[in-house]
Amino acid sequence: MRHTALLWAKKLLIFLAGLLVLSLAVFCVSHAAPGDALTAYYGERTEKMTPDERAAAEIRLGLDKPLPVQYARWLSGALRGEFGISFMYKTDVLSLLRSRLGNTLILGGAGFALILVLAPLLGILCARFEGRWPDRFICRLGAVSGCIPEFWLSLLLIALFSVTLRLLPGSGAYCAGKSGELADRLEHLVLPLTVVVLSHLWYYAYLVRSRLLDEVRKDYVLLAKSTGLKPRSILFRHCLRNIMPSYLSLMAISVPHILGGTYIVEAVFSYPGLGALSYESARYKDYNLLMLLCLLSGAAVMLCSALAQAISRRLDPRMKGDFSLDGEVQNDG
Amino acid sequence: MPEILLDVRSLTHRYAITGKSTLTALDGVTFQIRRGEIFGLVGQSGSGKSTAARCIMNLLRPTGGKLLYKGVDLLDPKQRRANRKMLQTTRQLIFQDSGSSLNPRMTLAEIITEPMAIHRVKSPRGSMRAEAELRAKSVGLSPSCLDRFPPELSGGQRQRAAIARALCMEPELLIADEPVASLDVSVQAQILNLFRHLQERHGFSLLFIAHDMSAVRWLCSRVGVLCRGRLVEAAPVPELFENPLHPCTRALLSSVPLPDPRRERERQLEHFDADTLPSAGTLYEASPDHFVLKED
Amino acid sequence: MPLLEVKNLSVSFDTPRGELQAVRDVSFSLGEGEILAIAGESGCGKSVLCKAITRLLPDTARIKGGSVTIDGLTLSSLPERKVQKLRGKLFSMVFQDAMSALNPSLSIGAQIAGAVRVHSPRMKRAAVRARVLELLGLVGIGRAADMYALYPHNLSGGQRQRVVTAVALASGPRLLFADEPTTALDAGLQTQILDLLRDIRQSLGTSTVLISHDLGAVARAADRVAVMYAGKIVEIGTAEDIFYDPRHPYTWSLLLSLPSRAERGRQLRAIAGTPPTLIDPPAGDAFAPRNPWALEIDYEQAPPMFRVTDTHSAATWLLDPRAPKITPPFGGEGHA
Repeated sequence: MRHTALLWAKKLLIFLAGLLVLSLAVFCVSHAAPGDALTAYYGERTEKMTPDERAAAEIRLGLDKPLPVQYARWLSGALRGEFGISFMYKTDVLSLLRSRLGNTLILGGAGFALILVLAPLLGILCARFEGRWPDRFICRLGAVSGCIPEFWLSLLLIALFSVTLRLLPGSGAYCAGKSGELADRLEHLVLPLTVVVLSHLWYYAYLVRSRLLDEVRKDYVLLAKSTGLKPRSILFRHCLRNIMPSYLSLMAISVPHILGGTYIVEAVFSYPGLGALSYESARYKDYNLLMLLCLLSGAAVMLCSALAQAISRRLDPRMKGDFSLDGEVQNDG
Repeated sequence: MPEILLDVRSLTHRYAITGKSTLTALDGVTFQIRRGEIFGLVGQSGSGKSTAARCIMNLLRPTGGKLLYKGVDLLDPKQRRANRKMLQTTRQLIFQDSGSSLNPRMTLAEIITEPMAIHRVKSPRGSMRAEAELRAKSVGLSPSCLDRFPPELSGGQRQRAAIARALCMEPELLIADEPVASLDVSVQAQILNLFRHLQERHGFSLLFIAHDMSAVRWLCSRVGVLCRGRLVEAAPVPELFENPLHPCTRALLSSVPLPDPRRERERQLEHFDADTLPSAGTLYEASPDHFVLKED
Repeated sequence: MPLLEVKNLSVSFDTPRGELQAVRDVSFSLGEGEILAIAGESGCGKSVLCKAITRLLPDTARIKGGSVTIDGLTLSSLPERKVQKLRGKLFSMVFQDAMSALNPSLSIGAQIAGAVRVHSPRMKRAAVRARVLELLGLVGIGRAADMYALYPHNLSGGQRQRVVTAVALASGPRLLFADEPTTALDAGLQTQILDLLRDIRQSLGTSTVLISHDLGAVARAADRVAVMYAGKIVEIGTAEDIFYDPRHPYTWSLLLSLPSRAERGRQLRAIAGTPPTLIDPPAGDAFAPRNPWALEIDYEQAPPMFRVTDTHSAATWLLDPRAPKITPPFGGEGHA
């Protein structure tokens, strides 16, 4: 019991240290990048400021201090849960984040769920008909659509469905004043979701396909076959079961990857999520906002990889408390 | 009695498995290899044979014991550094599966002369090519193989190439870890003949690790028996095969299936439970040069 | 009537370099409760032969001709759907590498239970469990109830091979194909697994085709032996025929090359050269170039099977009445 508590404490410590290093890195990089932070707060007015006004503005925003002091101030605030205000929106960054997070989670979450389910289905279909037309068709289709950049695909879909056909809205998350209506939200979700799914699905489907084909060629499949089991049952009962732990843990690691993909899609569709926000914050040097967004993504990456580890440990019997009845050493003749 | 080339004294190695649990692969193993002899090391799989080879080659750091090679302490970093070149050139290792131990993207000529290139040794034959041809010929490889890559060759040819590579530095100690186990019967005989022929010509000492008792009986002059990481018996080959003293050795000898159906139908498997090995024991000399593990 | 009858079976692989004739015109039969060993070196086609009989060949292989009859059923003319219904029930297989032949993420009990259910899908849970325990006992795994929930990686090599055998025996096949079941094991465990095959024959009357390159293993387990070289059976007979009175020069060479037959201090009588490639195999006897006893005709014309006794035949021109008399390195003992 004490042992596990220690283990958790260790993990937590590593997690916090990771966040600290990340915040330092983001802080340095964002301050080293060219640009004027005052523009974010004062807009075009900055250009007309006198040197005195500039200095006063910098003092007001705390940008006059040396960088280590600025970082220390940010850190002490962050530890108390105060992440400062956004220069652009002039509000508390946390509340800003709260208003946008939901939209991104809806888009990314729905996209992730669809990929999670569709990729194995496609992979199984391909593996089942290896080398025959369904397999070849899916592989070709995937190769073509996987090569189209996300923003280009987005523009293509907007041009087709919202400009030419006028079937679906091409921007935003809801029409003005209809933020509570489900149908309206869903309608706005269709195009961005399609892009998110189409641009990631193939990668994971191929992965399932190739893992399955590796499994199918193993000896235990031959043994199962020689007991008279049907090829379909072998595929589901043996092969699929064996690739699931590695598939699920991979999907857990890919959560940030897929969420990251939504950032670009959000920017193209002007979808009010974190993607658009982080793009703006980086462009206009909205330091406080940028730091928080980066920390959030970093935390997501670390939590997901921990989740992935936990999944493969839970599902794969080989990872559980290892023992062998004859005590033989691997790699020893 | 010839000079002792390698002196292994109470060699112990424990593999760390997870956290605190360890697996003892070698437990106080003591034996000597004399200059110019073929010493066989036999035992079941998992008895620690390969671990011993790896410790002797400094590929693993043993948990305890002493390894003296030509008077140099192999476990002392200082002495090892001082004799680095000598140690690297005069000890050579041949693996069971040369399919995976030879770089598939190098030609045989490159593979065979690579050790010389690494140690910047000039070939007395003038060019590396001439050296490779001579080495290939001495292990029975045709020069036409020299421009080919390991995957294009048969297992026997690859094993010959591995032997040629090991011999090009004129080693004094050659360690062969199950060199014929993955070969076909007829090729096994070719390689075993080659080992004996080369040993007679070059006079190196050979540590021959195997589980095939009949090959050991034919090739080796002395043999040591490992059982669960303990050396339970060591003796000259005729003595050990005619007068096996330790039950583990007897079990090992009785387990070999021979191509003789009538004998096979009679043969009873002698059983030896490795758990009955005493936790502490010392080797004592039962008859001249015949050592057996005895409980303290 | 024999349980298994193979007639003129030929199997080829399509390779980029041409057609590889892995099995060439092989015929043999196997009686009820008999253990037949097919011996030969790697690449001689013994494993392909076995997979061709059980129809488990990969897609690149083609059965070019011949017929396979098991228990009066002509397997070679049945569609795959029907053959699949027979697998496990009529015949089954055991493979060389027991570690990879078991699914690493299923407990051994579940794997055997799965095999039991294939042909008895309506069997009750408790009955399946009882059957699994019975099978584990049959293959010599003690404390079966404790072992049920273990995974393959928890077992030793010998136990894994026993579990594989239990899977193969799950639906009570009458014919078992064992493809190098002992190769990856220690000598002691080899003997135990070979004895297991004999025990199973004793208790269940299962006929077995044992494929092995190890003549010691063959001698321990087999009643009859077929020696294969370059895709053909060159000699077939009882174990006594093959080991004490061999007639084919390849069988002689194999036996002579074993270190257990050699005297210390004498050269081993290795077979010179390497087996021929089976893409465009030679016209005559494929072994002729490596055969110190080869006759001229061996290079031109493939020898037919000559009958030595009722149980024993060999494909070598040396048995032709016109052949010159030579002193064979073996013989005599078997007919004493």
